[in-house]
Amino acid sequence: MNSQSEQPRHWREWELHRAVTSKNLVILFFVFIVLSFSAHNTELDKAAVETSKAVLSVVGVGESQVLDGAARFVGKAFPIQISERTPVNRLNEFDRNNLPLFSYIESGEEKDYDALTDTWTVESTEFLVQPIGYLKKVIIKMWETIEMGFWGTIICIMISLPLGILASKNYTPHRFVYSFTRVWLSFHRSLPELIVALILVLMYGFGPIAGVLALAIHTSGVLGKFFADEIENAPPGPQLALSSTGASSFKVLRYAVFPHVYPAWIAYVQYIFERNIRTATVLGIVGAGGIGMELKGRWDVFDYDHVATILLIIFLTVILLEVISQKLRKHAL
Amino acid sequence: MLNFESVSRVYDDGTKAVNNVSLHIKAGEFCVLLGPSGAGKSTLMNMVNGVVEPSSGSINIGDLVLTKQNKSKIQRRIGMIHQQLHLVPRLSVLHNVLAGLLPNVGLLRSLLKSFSSEDQRRACQLLDEVGMEEKHLLRRASDLSGGQQQRVAIARAFIPNPEVVLADEPVASLDPAMSRSVLQSLKTAAQHRGATVICTLHQLDYALEFADRIIALRKGEIFFDGHPSKLDKITQDELYALAQSQPVSLEQEAA
Repeated sequence: MNSQSEQPRHWREWELHRAVTSKNLVILFFVFIVLSFSAHNTELDKAAVETSKAVLSVVGVGESQVLDGAARFVGKAFPIQISERTPVNRLNEFDRNNLPLFSYIESGEEKDYDALTDTWTVESTEFLVQPIGYLKKVIIKMWETIEMGFWGTIICIMISLPLGILASKNYTPHRFVYSFTRVWLSFHRSLPELIVALILVLMYGFGPIAGVLALAIHTSGVLGKFFADEIENAPPGPQLALSSTGASSFKVLRYAVFPHVYPAWIAYVQYIFERNIRTATVLGIVGAGGIGMELKGRWDVFDYDHVATILLIIFLTVILLEVISQKLRKHAL
Repeated sequence: MLNFESVSRVYDDGTKAVNNVSLHIKAGEFCVLLGPSGAGKSTLMNMVNGVVEPSSGSINIGDLVLTKQNKSKIQRRIGMIHQQLHLVPRLSVLHNVLAGLLPNVGLLRSLLKSFSSEDQRRACQLLDEVGMEEKHLLRRASDLSGGQQQRVAIARAFIPNPEVVLADEPVASLDPAMSRSVLQSLKTAAQHRGATVICTLHQLDYALEFADRIIALRKGEIFFDGHPSKLDKITQDELYALAQSQPVSLEQEAA
């Protein structure tokens, strides 16, 4: 009523949009304070200081702890170690006349540390040198890691497919089952692989079993929820058509839902597989098998040249994986 | 064969979708339901299919009275062709047709998509009958044209040898030449099996051409029922007018 009775204002007097208002400024100020506290908690200020120091140090001003650390690693990491050098007297079955392919014998000095007397003894001995021995070992370990990722994914599918069906609103046998499986799946999701792996190493001992199961448990929570959501979002028309012929809900699922969700499922399983291999490389750090165990072992004794070889192989594997799965994805859809 | 005994259906909002309809449809008849949107055609069909329950009156197919308990028994004796077809887009033509047999196929067989060669032959025979060629057999349903999809839907409805086939606007989205050919396929397939067809249409011309019996509805009541030849000029004009008319209100549309 009131606004109708008022005279419309001339367009020169219309209120215009103002981008900067005092309210905006106050909000910005408080946001800035909160973020500052949080940044201090996470040592971002220290990071800024140290990074600036590093930059200055590069151009010759002062010293930097960051650069020292990097230099310590890089200095020992290159050239990367791809050969394996073993003292001959440590080999059980050594046949001087029948050496492995491409390997040769080299004489040198072996340093031995005696912890009891805290002394180093040096004795000259012969070494068996295998030129690509270490590279071979790392590649075999990497293959084991890929296998861990593969079986982790297979077991993950075996867990998440039935759970996914039970956790989809339209195919769950009961509302209670629905809620229960949803909670169960999010429980699986909430368990980080590294922590599950730690516990499983206690249960199953060191080795890939713990890694495979840890991967399967965490990713089944992710994949199961995805399966369930896809089933729920499938178009209802074909399902209605088949169920109105009197087909059981399992058959409707098989014929009207699965064909529809199949491509999305494949894409997601592929992503989980890729992710599992990447995660499997670090699981070894807690003793759950794969290349991470070798990495951790070498890191702890400062063999950075060996570490560099491992990192290179991981890097190449991840790139290769990405390329292959890109190709597969184009193929499958 | 298919009997409606003073059937009514009142929706929760008070709309009388079908009002005291009695119909006796003989086996093998090709019935066309005519009427504007909201006249009660869909409700009548959905009651046969068990999707909608009649508020009063009863429906029986042969000696089987439609109740909640024997809904699945009834469903097995009915084939349904939906207006939007509802084929499974990523499934092959063959499997879309075979999906009509699912209630009779064992669990393991259906899981592995391994249908007996006998069933597959039947699907092929039906597809041939409705005018599909062999080269389409393993193509995805989504790759087919509208008319071809319609034929696949007809084959799927007929494969379990139903006694009654319900077709909801089977030619709504097709051009006239294709519509005639699809309706002809539907009629032939029904005649070969002695199946009763109840088909809703918007176009009076097609009804006159194909129907053994025209049932025209208006506001939930029958106002013409008989052979197309008995349709006099006045009723025809009235039907044309009805077919052209738009739904009066949204509630009627929903009904």
